[in-house]
Amino acid sequence: MIRVDDLSVSYGAVKALRNVSLEASPGLITAVLGANGAGKTTLLRTISGLVNPVGGDIHLGDTSLLRMPTEEICRLGLAHVPEGRGVIEELTVEDNLRLGALASKVDIAEGLEAQYAQFPALGDRRKKYCATLSGGERQMLAMARALIAQPRVLLLDEPSLGLAPQVTSDLMKLILRLCESKNLTVILVEQNAKGALRIAHNAVVLHLGAVVASGDAQTVAADEDLRRYYLGLVE
Amino acid sequence: MTWPGSFRKQETTHVRLLTVLGLTVLTLAVTILLPPVADSQLAGGAAITIVILGLSWLIGWSGQISLGNSGFMAVGAYAAGIWAHHHTASPLIFTFLLATLVGGISGLIVAIPSTRLRGPYLAGMTLAFAAAIAPLAQNFTSVTGGEGGLFFNTLTTPAWFLHFFSGANASINANAQWTADLAVVIAGFMFFLMANLFHSRSGRAMRLVRDNDVAAELMGINLSRTRTLAFVVAAAFAGLGGSLFAIINATVRPESFPLTLSITLLTLMVLGGIGTLSGAVIGGIIYSFSANLVSHVNSLTGVNPTSNLGSNMQGIIFGVLLILTMLFAPRGIAGVVQRIRSFVHSRS
Amino acid sequence: MSSFLTSSFMHNIFGGLAQGVIFSLVALSLVIIWQSTHVLNFAQGAMAMFATYVGLTEIGRGVGYWWCVLLSVVVGMALGGATERVLIRPLYGKPEINPIVVMVGFLAVLEAVATSIWTSTARTIAAPFSQIYFQSHGKLVLLSPFIIFQIVLAIGIMLLVAALFRFTKLGLQLRASALAPEVARLLGVRVNRMLTIGWMLSAGVGAIAAVILASGSFGLFPTDMDGVFVAGFIAAAVGGLESPIGAIAGGLLIGLAEQFILAYWSPNVAPLGGIIILVVALMIRPQGIFTKSVGRRV
Repeated sequence: MIRVDDLSVSYGAVKALRNVSLEASPGLITAVLGANGAGKTTLLRTISGLVNPVGGDIHLGDTSLLRMPTEEICRLGLAHVPEGRGVIEELTVEDNLRLGALASKVDIAEGLEAQYAQFPALGDRRKKYCATLSGGERQMLAMARALIAQPRVLLLDEPSLGLAPQVTSDLMKLILRLCESKNLTVILVEQNAKGALRIAHNAVVLHLGAVVASGDAQTVAADEDLRRYYLGLVE
Repeated sequence: MTWPGSFRKQETTHVRLLTVLGLTVLTLAVTILLPPVADSQLAGGAAITIVILGLSWLIGWSGQISLGNSGFMAVGAYAAGIWAHHHTASPLIFTFLLATLVGGISGLIVAIPSTRLRGPYLAGMTLAFAAAIAPLAQNFTSVTGGEGGLFFNTLTTPAWFLHFFSGANASINANAQWTADLAVVIAGFMFFLMANLFHSRSGRAMRLVRDNDVAAELMGINLSRTRTLAFVVAAAFAGLGGSLFAIINATVRPESFPLTLSITLLTLMVLGGIGTLSGAVIGGIIYSFSANLVSHVNSLTGVNPTSNLGSNMQGIIFGVLLILTMLFAPRGIAGVVQRIRSFVHSRS
Repeated sequence: MSSFLTSSFMHNIFGGLAQGVIFSLVALSLVIIWQSTHVLNFAQGAMAMFATYVGLTEIGRGVGYWWCVLLSVVVGMALGGATERVLIRPLYGKPEINPIVVMVGFLAVLEAVATSIWTSTARTIAAPFSQIYFQSHGKLVLLSPFIIFQIVLAIGIMLLVAALFRFTKLGLQLRASALAPEVARLLGVRVNRMLTIGWMLSAGVGAIAAVILASGSFGLFPTDMDGVFVAGFIAAAVGGLESPIGAIAGGLLIGLAEQFILAYWSPNVAPLGGIIILVVALMIRPQGIFTKSVGRRV
């Protein structure tokens, strides 16, 4: 379980997050929604230790993640698929996956087999350099690379960005299936509110770095004002 | 900071001129009091100040790193040496002008392939240039005198100077003083030129190119021409400084300008303060009295100055100073002084 | 065939290769550091020299050649790691002139300290390989068991480094840290540790170059590595600073070029060969001959 309490982040004079609190529980998808610049990516980067907050606290279970280096946070079982997917283009598909497994106690060969079974397209391309992959394949690789370490928590930053509608919809279903079958705690950052709300259990809406609404995904999805002013969902 | 308007600009030029004149006259007065040894040290420091002015302009203002300025010094010194060798009667001023010119041309030659390079490439490239100069000088023996090098006629102290300071008698004192005065006047003049260059349109363009080359290009500044100009100016200053250095020492040999001199120049510039005029002068003064500094450290630590450690003390001290300055006070002595001054100002 | 081996052309090929592998090693060591930390280490040569001198002092105590080599490499690696931790780490994110200046200062300190401890005269360490040239029909072939050893050792080290980067878990983490440090962190790679290890590896490779010089007939003196560093830098720059293969090829090219200039013109002009190659290479491809095509893979 991830608990964020009263978190504030500043970039110089600019306040990127203002007293943000949220909770994400195992087996549930928590969607973080909002416009560009709302602070969604900053929230994930702060949880991962890439950004230091000026106030507040973050807990993974009972452990505070504050001031902990990113790589150690990862080793606690938190996987973060960054914005733009973070596939290392100069490495092969297989090397990218192996890299994901190195920090965990997972047997690499078994892990690879499990991911290739899950994503057969990756198995076909295992020796290819990632620069040759399509957007959908990269997203698959990024997911597989995060999952191979068998994390407890999965942070996803705009996974649908740049994907075709059909691919996005398949991806969302996959995220839901993974979350429920592996009892993962998922925090899903999306600009595509519609797609995210379809699978999410809970939702948090950020605006200019502050939480403007949070709660049950259905409730958020049903709120006309939220839809109109923050989620851009009114036709 | 106020943007210098036409009126202000004129005023600052006057202020600059007066400051330089004042400092120069003060230094000249000091040379009267100093013993001959200190006078010749000061002369060397003045020559080095000229080189550092150029280096500071290149590294501090145009953002291009050069480890090759000892090479440009060597080029200037050899140009002066070869000229003086063939034209013994030629006035000194021609020798200096020629050294400056040839130094500038060598800068142009190095700049053409180099200005497209980024920091570390540039540093390595200029280092390779400096490393190639001494073997080249050894190779063209008929022109450069090979191992033995070339010799300059010793500077003749003019009669009026002797008359004024030495009761018309040539003496070691008067000669050393004349050499130091000559060097200080040249350094003062070059300081004034550089001060104006720093505050000129080119100087501002140079800083813009350093900080944001895309913006500079959008404003119509020709990047490669600006960077090349920075190199040419730095090399011309180094050429003049190198020739002055050689004339003070009355000789130029392949090992007169070793690679370690490039390191020394860098140290002095960083110690004084990168990209500041006062830093160049501070660097020159430190150079003048570095031998005293080293022997002082030797005697403080009880190291025998003729021992291995004692004779390598300068390298150790300079290297350590370079590292410490860069790690803890990257803006050098000038930067520290500035910070203290603004601290005092903010208090009062 | 035998007269071919003793021809002056082949003399120069052998001489150039023997010299070139040393440049290649230094170039490779520079590339390892450049890739991981984007620092051009001007003290690389001096660090290698220093480490080798420490190894050399042990030979007087009746320790065998291979122990001295090992000791030099270990000292080199320790020095490399310590340098990254103490001198370079505070400078990440600072202007690129700062690490250059600091390493130039370190170069001055190392050379001055080495000279004050061990004097400026050259020191040798006798390798268990003969320096006497082979003969063919009464004529010299410019190869000796030692030169063959030198070439084989250098190539062996290069292959070892390549294998380490290519086939080991450590190598994968090193490559990831160099290519995408933030992503590597997110995947649990201890990137800071990788940077230190990168410097250690690099300094170890550099130490081998100095050991080879010290084992040769001319020995090693404290400022000996200055010229080797310049040639190694040029070799690395010709390859684009990013490409290990480019660095190795560049080193061989410069070794051969200098050897031929030395033989057909004058030894004093030889350093110009490297500069000319660099200038021509940069004019053809400013980003380096080997980047993009082979680069960034090891």
